[in-house]
Amino acid sequence: MTAQMKRIAINVGGGYVAGLNAVITGVVLAANELGWEVVGIRDGFDGLLAPERYPDGGLLKLTAQMVQNLSAGGGAILGDATRTDPFRVRQVNAENMVEEVDRSSDLIAKTAAEQIDAVISVVGPQALSILFRLHRQGLRTVGVPTSVENDVAATQLSFGFNSALSFAVDMLERVRQAAQSAQKIGVVEVLGEHAGWLALQAGIAVCADAVLIPEIPYDLQHVAAKLREKLKAGRASGLVIVAEGALPQDGRQTVGEAAAPDSLKALLSPRATGEGGSHVIERSGHAAQTVALQLQRLTDQATYPLVLGPLVKGGPPTAVDRQLGLAYGAGAVRALNEDKSGVMVAFQPPDLKFVPLAEAINKVRTVPDNSVFVQIARSLGISLGEGEVKS
Amino acid sequence: MNTPAATTTVPKGIVLNIQHFSTHDGPGMRTTVFLKGCTLRCKWCSNPESINPKPELGYNLNKCIGKDQCGFCLKECPESAIFNVDSDTKVRINWDLCTNCGKCVPVCPPQSLYLFGQEMTVDQVLDEVEQDSSFYRESGGGLSLSGGECQLQADFAAALLAGAHQRGINTAIETAFNVPWSHVEKVLPHVDVVLHDHKVTLSERHKKWTGVDNKRILENMKRAYETWPDKTFIARTPLIPGVNDDEEHIRAVLAFIKPYKNVVDYELLPYMRFGESKYGFLGKVYEMQDFNPPSPELLARLRVIIAEAFGRSPGRKSS
Repeated sequence: MTAQMKRIAINVGGGYVAGLNAVITGVVLAANELGWEVVGIRDGFDGLLAPERYPDGGLLKLTAQMVQNLSAGGGAILGDATRTDPFRVRQVNAENMVEEVDRSSDLIAKTAAEQIDAVISVVGPQALSILFRLHRQGLRTVGVPTSVENDVAATQLSFGFNSALSFAVDMLERVRQAAQSAQKIGVVEVLGEHAGWLALQAGIAVCADAVLIPEIPYDLQHVAAKLREKLKAGRASGLVIVAEGALPQDGRQTVGEAAAPDSLKALLSPRATGEGGSHVIERSGHAAQTVALQLQRLTDQATYPLVLGPLVKGGPPTAVDRQLGLAYGAGAVRALNEDKSGVMVAFQPPDLKFVPLAEAINKVRTVPDNSVFVQIARSLGISLGEGEVKS
Repeated sequence: MNTPAATTTVPKGIVLNIQHFSTHDGPGMRTTVFLKGCTLRCKWCSNPESINPKPELGYNLNKCIGKDQCGFCLKECPESAIFNVDSDTKVRINWDLCTNCGKCVPVCPPQSLYLFGQEMTVDQVLDEVEQDSSFYRESGGGLSLSGGECQLQADFAAALLAGAHQRGINTAIETAFNVPWSHVEKVLPHVDVVLHDHKVTLSERHKKWTGVDNKRILENMKRAYETWPDKTFIARTPLIPGVNDDEEHIRAVLAFIKPYKNVVDYELLPYMRFGESKYGFLGKVYEMQDFNPPSPELLARLRVIIAEAFGRSPGRKSS
């Protein structure tokens, strides 16, 4: 069955990744082949919900000619909304009071008024849930997954991951050189709250001494033993990669004062503190600090923590991401042409598939214990902070 | 117990929390009742759970005992907004699907899931407040309403304050005055001490950091100072690094309040990160996490300016 489309829209939401323009280009070129018109919605759904903010209009007509020379560099011409959430739009009401209102019905009406037949949304894992709700409410939609942590379920590869990985490897190589020169152990934290793909794959690429990921609770004694062995052999430096969500086997990350009970804070907000009064949200850099401090104690070798964090999200896309972006964009158009809606384009090698959004949300794609990357790391002698494991 | 009939007919309100033995929300030892709902969105807000006017789900991951031992919430949620990740047995909340219905709360034995805010009647609140009345007499304290913006639930707030007066309890409110004047007219007649925020002087900057400009706020303040010359007003500024921690703002506020003898003091509340963890409990992002509290030196310098304006020697009055 082929859908009768005339005009479709594309938007970007849920945080930036490298080279989003590649997806936009893919959509426009593929739609052009079918004779469909494409408009871009600026800043998530803001271009439709608040067009008055945009002197040139909230919608941007995208032609094949226009995207042909679109920069493949970082960012996206359509802008971005960190949270594309039409269900909770913050606005000032007639009484001059700020409030969050559900404008989802309004959004769907505006989409119809603009004669937009369907919306392709390039979004991160959180915004996929919002897309799912909009679909349930009647919006014809296809999602394209982006994630620098590669943690979107139902796809092997999210757009943006490969570029982040490449840049992380580049940075880690420099950290290693600096660590060698300074004769210290560099402990580098990378993104990965629940999923350790970025830490693990980057760690393998640079042959790190250890990689700590959320999926494998660590015991730093094992890492220290590995580093001590190396130090004894006269190599007085090291490189340890830590995913931000990595945890020790005995529970939570602790760094000096952060773990101390704070009775004043507990008094002011009795339900808002963790056990012992500690903070619950761990700040960026917390994992690296914890590990660096403890490894220094265990190895008697100077360590220093570094955080790559969101730095890896920017910059130009890699060749893999360029191809993937174009393929995802064109794939989303194909999904609409096959009359599919409420689906996400997923790369399940060797195919591009269309999976229901319901299968992609409420899940996190984590590193399984039998992952080939875990096996590779073990075979290369990279410590994963675990005891002896025969691979 | 004296229970005035008038207070039983007023609507119920959404109460976030009743905090006993508070020493920061007015004179003496006080009981502070936090009402839910706010009309501003200050980026430094230390009570993010007070912003939404309705009851709202909170989740403390640390307390969750995990799906292997429990997992009742996973079955109870009608929106499929609670889920698991493979690397952890503790549940996670999909905040984009959660509708704050609260059905998961009673089935959570460790109380890691809870609702911020509950509906209460005026008498329910006042009965609890009155339990502390001996402390008020000793210390010159009483009832304080805070928030959110306590004047948002104007009828409920007015009934609480009037009821407290009928029970012989001193009253105070903490307010930002960003409400229609009709709310102020209802609430302020029943208030003894009005603690009110002068957040940012420049209107455009006020809008940037709080969501609205300050035109109506300043109008309300002036009108309140003039309408109730016998009430005690205490001006306050939450001192936020890089936003309003400068002499210019402090001097502008001092100039604004100078003509009014009923504005008896101006206090600085240094920014702290107390609210940070609560953002996580609500699935929200705390935007001020890279800011540090103002230095003691800066605080001391600004307080000297205030002390001089009030004609007292610096350090004598804790402001």
